[in-house]
Amino acid sequence: MFRHLKAEDFVNLIEGVELTAKHQAHIDSCARCRATWESMRTVHAEITSLETDISEPDWTQFRSSVRDELLSRSIQRDSVVRRWTGWAIRPAVAWALSMLMAIGITTVTVLWKIDGRAPTPAPAGVEPAIPVEPAAEVIESGPEKSLFDDVVSLGEEEQEQLRQMLESAAKGAAYRQ
Amino acid sequence: MMERTVTASMPMTLGNSDADAELVERYLAGDMTAFDELMIRYERQIYRVCYRFVENREDAMDLAQEVFIKAFEHLGAFRRESSLKTWLYRIAMNHCINHVKKHSPEFIEVNEYTGSVRASVQSQLEEREQREQFRRLVKQLPPKQKAILELRINEQLSYEEIAKISGRSVSTIKASVFFALEKLRKLVKDPNLRKARS
Repeated sequence: MFRHLKAEDFVNLIEGVELTAKHQAHIDSCARCRATWESMRTVHAEITSLETDISEPDWTQFRSSVRDELLSRSIQRDSVVRRWTGWAIRPAVAWALSMLMAIGITTVTVLWKIDGRAPTPAPAGVEPAIPVEPAAEVIESGPEKSLFDDVVSLGEEEQEQLRQMLESAAKGAAYRQ
Repeated sequence: MMERTVTASMPMTLGNSDADAELVERYLAGDMTAFDELMIRYERQIYRVCYRFVENREDAMDLAQEVFIKAFEHLGAFRRESSLKTWLYRIAMNHCINHVKKHSPEFIEVNEYTGSVRASVQSQLEEREQREQFRRLVKQLPPKQKAILELRINEQLSYEEIAKISGRSVSTIKASVFFALEKLRKLVKDPNLRKARS
């Protein structure tokens, strides 16, 4: 047997939409669907016949009240925005700027100090990725080591000449004294 | 102070969409005469919808005013995917439903079709009393169902228009109408339920 009508079919029936042949055959044969349709139709007719006496306002006044309310809300919104930018945003911006300045000054100072210092040795057990060449400044700042290196690199004759020169210089000094 | 005046609203046709779009543009450009024209076009329709929810002039005016304020404040965001009329009705419907939900006791959704048979309403109730009864019963419908019935029966909007307004399919709207009628039928039939709801 064909299925019962659906909610949409009943509404179509109430609205006067023609049913398909199948639906029509079903409603002719199904007492339950026919009864539902009839009761629905009665309720629908009742609602349609209900008349609501709507008392209308003065439209000119209604329009002006809407316009005034729109205007007043717009002014309120503007003043809220101004209040925020005036009393909350400005101090916040000033605070943020001063913080930025403080951080900047600190960073510049620290970097300047680091530039003046020797590079810190790598921690024990950690090999640098790139072999570090001794810096020229370090060699220059150690004269004993460079003198020693020079002595070591002298030949035997040169060393003898240097010893004589040193001895004669020592004698000259003793004589002067 | 408030008096009934004879201010005729323009008839609402589909051809008004272009005129609406032009009025919206003019309003957004700061032309306040466009505001008046838009109001004249839609104030009655929106007010009527609001009135049917609250059934008194002051509340209906407050509701309608809120609807228009909301609409004008967001007119810049109106995307023209639907007509201005549909958009305004949607705002009005949502606003009224929210208002009723806030100010009324809980509603019971009736979503099941029982298919039970009942005798004619006419044979049970006297005509005059019946009308008053019915008015009270319609008030007892869940707000969404009531809104859909109002838009269909009193505003005579098509099911397609109501579907656009409520953002649902035509089938769902028709089913809502059916369930609203079904609920009314049950309320008429069952005096205890009627008493409990009133």
